[in-house]
Amino acid sequence: MKIANNIPVREVEEDYINIQPIQAAGRLTGDAMKALIAYGDGYSTCDQCRKPFRLDKITKPNIAEFHNDLAEFLHMEEARVTPGARRAFQAVCLALAEKGDTVLVSALAHYTEFLAVENANAVVNEIPLNEKNVVTGDAVAQKIEDVTREKGKKPALVMLDHFDYSFANEHDIASAARAAHQYDIPILYNGAYTVGIKPVDGKQLGVDFVVGSGHKSMASPAPSGVLATTSEYADQVFRTTQMIGDVTGRKFGIKEVEMLGCTLMGANIIAMMASFPTVQRRVNNWQEYVEKSNFVIDALINIKGNKCLSEYPRKHTLTKVDTTGSFDKIAKTHKRRGFFFSDELKRLGIVGEFAGATRTWKLNTYGLSWDQTSYVADAFKEIADKHDLL
Amino acid sequence: MSKEVDALFDALFALTDLRVLLRETVPIHKLNEEQQNQAHSAIARVREALSLLEGALDSEDRK
Repeated sequence: MKIANNIPVREVEEDYINIQPIQAAGRLTGDAMKALIAYGDGYSTCDQCRKPFRLDKITKPNIAEFHNDLAEFLHMEEARVTPGARRAFQAVCLALAEKGDTVLVSALAHYTEFLAVENANAVVNEIPLNEKNVVTGDAVAQKIEDVTREKGKKPALVMLDHFDYSFANEHDIASAARAAHQYDIPILYNGAYTVGIKPVDGKQLGVDFVVGSGHKSMASPAPSGVLATTSEYADQVFRTTQMIGDVTGRKFGIKEVEMLGCTLMGANIIAMMASFPTVQRRVNNWQEYVEKSNFVIDALINIKGNKCLSEYPRKHTLTKVDTTGSFDKIAKTHKRRGFFFSDELKRLGIVGEFAGATRTWKLNTYGLSWDQTSYVADAFKEIADKHDLL
Repeated sequence: MSKEVDALFDALFALTDLRVLLRETVPIHKLNEEQQNQAHSAIARVREALSLLEGALDSEDRK
């Protein structure tokens, strides 16, 4: 089936269990799909945009209230929606870092954190990991000391992922926040892999900014995200324009500079709003999803030669595994090479692993029912059994 | 919203509910009793909405 003659209909989620590492928690709710149907037109949120003409002030539909709800959900004081977490990193870096300033990020930071720093003409310095591939508060403090001594100026910002994209290991945000604040440096919590799937309390963590990804973890279309902050930093990161046109004298007073005015002006924010009640509920079921993750990983590492490269037992549904000692051995002599594994999974109705990869690869079990969880675990065992790996 | 437009969205939304059921039951699509009831209800809503739209199309006022 095709859309406009040449765009294939995407039926991945209707036909297969999808364990793709970054897609699992961005899968839409039914209500979000309905929102896309009704609000797909370009500026669909603007039907009743009245003075002061800004997205987060619109009350029909109630986008203003949604902003308040988002801030409350994250236990912060102000929130804005953004086109993805990356645009939130960018906004904070542009607001806080000056040319040549240092921004500290994790040695497992997402590439978009690097780009956001570079975009602000600042410089990234990485906080090293410990032997367990985890960032600790001590490592943050040490790096601040090192940078301050070497450059004669303390870092402008610390950005830290709660769970990183590579291993989905948990990093010690609360300790990192205490360390950063000891040196009077603000800290940004990157919750791309937490906001929307597990409870996040920015106040309790002691962070200055909470960033989430709508399309990664809030059952929302791409791009969508959230930036929340405290009243202390809101005026800085959500500063309004002071610019006046020299010929026309025009000014656009209430528009926020780092947001470039309105952000998600159509279906994306409405879909995000439509999924939000589900998102608010589902964060309370996080531990059950972690149990399911461990169930699948246990099945995988019970196959001889397999290893879990992420911290174990798992604290997240995203996991990096090493199957060099099992499935990769089969791939070496199989006519389809590494693709034999993708073929086998697809035959069983499972997709989303990196096609052709049989050494190290990632999977995400978020959103699966217990029946589906058992099914995936059994599928790995069945493939191993078929190829005499058990 | 006219009743015809209302019916149109209701049909699309009911089909979306069916789509969600498909997603929730991948890859085997074996529906439990509650899911079967939900599926039947969604299909009935689509039929009802389509009947209303057909009726509107065939009504004398539109000819």
